[in-house]
Amino acid sequence: MDPSEVEFLAEKELVKIIPNFNLDKLYLIGGDLGPFNPGLPLDVPVWLALNLKQRQKCRVVPPDWMDVEKLEEMRELERKAAAFTPAPSPYYMELTKLLLNHASDNIPKADEIRTLVKDIWDTRIAKLRLSADSFISQQEAHAKLDNLTLMEINTIRGFLLDSLNCLYKLRSNLQSGSSKGRLADF
Amino acid sequence: MFVTDIRKEFYEVVANQRVALLVASDIDALCACKILQALFHCDQVQYTLVPVAGWQDLGTAFLEHKDQFKYFVLINCGANVDLLEMLQPDEDSIFFICDTHRPVDVVNVYNETQIKLLIKQDDDLGVPSYDEIFRDDEEEEEGGDSGNESEQSSEPSGKRRRFDEGAVERRIERQREKREWEARRREILFDYEQYEYHGTSAAMMFFELAWVSTKDTKDMLWWAVIGLTDQWVHDKVTHMKYVTDIATMQRHVSRHNHRNEDEDNSLSIDCMRISFEYDLRLTLYQHWSLYESIRNSCYTSCHFKLWTLNGQKKLQEFLADMGLPLKQVRQKFTSMDMSIKENLREAIEESSNKYGMKDIRIQTFGVHFGFKNRFLASDMVHATTALLENTEKDENETDNFIKALESLSRSNLERLHSGMDLAKKKLMAIQQTVASCICTNLILSQGPFLYCYLMEGTPDVKLFSKPMALTLLSKYLLKAFIQSTRNKRCRLLPLIMAAPKDVEKGTVLVVGIPPESETSDKKNFFGRAFEKAAESTSSRTLHDHFDTSIIELKTEDRSKFLDALITLLS
Repeated sequence: MDPSEVEFLAEKELVKIIPNFNLDKLYLIGGDLGPFNPGLPLDVPVWLALNLKQRQKCRVVPPDWMDVEKLEEMRELERKAAAFTPAPSPYYMELTKLLLNHASDNIPKADEIRTLVKDIWDTRIAKLRLSADSFISQQEAHAKLDNLTLMEINTIRGFLLDSLNCLYKLRSNLQSGSSKGRLADF
Repeated sequence: MFVTDIRKEFYEVVANQRVALLVASDIDALCACKILQALFHCDQVQYTLVPVAGWQDLGTAFLEHKDQFKYFVLINCGANVDLLEMLQPDEDSIFFICDTHRPVDVVNVYNETQIKLLIKQDDDLGVPSYDEIFRDDEEEEEGGDSGNESEQSSEPSGKRRRFDEGAVERRIERQREKREWEARRREILFDYEQYEYHGTSAAMMFFELAWVSTKDTKDMLWWAVIGLTDQWVHDKVTHMKYVTDIATMQRHVSRHNHRNEDEDNSLSIDCMRISFEYDLRLTLYQHWSLYESIRNSCYTSCHFKLWTLNGQKKLQEFLADMGLPLKQVRQKFTSMDMSIKENLREAIEESSNKYGMKDIRIQTFGVHFGFKNRFLASDMVHATTALLENTEKDENETDNFIKALESLSRSNLERLHSGMDLAKKKLMAIQQTVASCICTNLILSQGPFLYCYLMEGTPDVKLFSKPMALTLLSKYLLKAFIQSTRNKRCRLLPLIMAAPKDVEKGTVLVVGIPPESETSDKKNFFGRAFEKAAESTSSRTLHDHFDTSIIELKTEDRSKFLDALITLLS
């Protein structure tokens, strides 16, 4: 999977906007989007929010989790816990990038938020790397990781599966016929 | 006719239609075009952009597009000529013209149906009133004849001869009146169309449209500022007008900066910040070294007379007076010591007052986004002009236009930097050419004007085959000449400059600029003068450029053209 595909899936998430125009209810394949009235907030998917923002037809309201104090708390929790803590949002990385690139003037303290989200991402990816490393070195049969987001899984998927495949080939050459360490194919 | 409510009469009319944009090749037009494009993107209006470099291009573009488009928007072209006569459009084509060229042709002003002028009516126009120029001759004749008939029918035929004489007298009286009226009309039109000058920037007009529609963004504000600064850099408007327009822009800038004040909700560093600057008049100094910038800026170079040895010594004195070590001053501005940079503006202003340069600082705006990017409006004007008139590679004009247009966006910083490099080369070339012209006395006084011809072998002469570069060179040259000559009378003369344009076709580009003075109103009479001189000597000229004071002439006809001009103007 390409990171841009993950971003595309992230654009389905809902975000609050305040439009400045009038429009009746929209009936789209993915669902209905409520009537647009100037000054009244409503939820729309991110792709529509960004399009309207670029055409200067709305103001974007940052999601609840995109707040400096909350992100600081989450970052501390993440650093202390050994396992993965629940992520701010299943698509926190993509949403941060999209909203801060196109609507940073509607989001207060955008630079600090960018830094905090990057810190959280770095901590989680480090944990992921450690866990993958121990999985391979201890030749475990299966592992279970909670609270991973799709972007993180996608980041490690290619490397992990390729390396496991290589190990399998090496092992099956050394001990031909032995069924030790049967690895699931993807 | 003039459009009073630009939103209702222009924007809402074209919002649901397909529009053809015909844009002239100068920076103000490019900025206006960018603003209009951004507005069209917001409202998803379909448009076609056609760059036009002169009247012929305009005609060709119109012929190509007249079948598909009903609405044409002309930016910085078309107001100073009878457009309907030139293009011969159909009845339903409508033209919206936003042009800084004045005087606006009277037919364009008084046409009610097809020509809409996006120009403010109080913008110093001086248009003669309708009755002075147009009158219905049909009515006069009919009135006279019916009067005649009724006279004849009511009286018996015996007295016809007497009445006939009365009628003949009245007719003679009417004809005399008509001749007088026509003579007055010719005089009024001659006065009106004699001088050519420039009005409010087109970019500012379109920014006002955006503001009235509450769709203005900082990007559009910055483009409007660049359009206004272009008028000042290329010396198209008087200083008073520039300062007044800067004040208008300052109001918009403070309105947009209002949000930055709040400390708790401070904006991201990547957001664009526009600020008012009372900055130095040294071109590109923040992207060059201070020394190079002082050497190549018109203002400082002319005051120090840097083409003489004495002048260079004075420059060294000036730098020493401020306590700036040469080593610091010669390196890139961004690498200069912070302690020097902090009070640089005040220090330079103080020192320059001692050397007779009272206006080293000028009111302008600067933009700041990201950690590295700071630009002054004049930097952007020079960079974009250099890209627009790029003669380095053999590219056609449309490519250069598109590149220059792209460099105005924030995301194309590489192109902007390459434009700045080209601008530096151009400025150095101008400086060297000015120095050589003055040292070799190439400027000759022909009586009513000064004349200078750049020979074909002159270094960098290819740069000066473009109108804006040649105009900039002539303005610098005139200022330098005034500083260097002792002849008091010569200081009040206008300048005509000629440079080879196309070696294969054997043509030269001729530019005429008004005399340089403190209270100059920048009104240029060379447009009409060139036309008359070309007519009287039947020289082969091409009056293609939108500024009528810039023409193309065959090299062989140069001398007889000049002689005709001398006789015309003396």
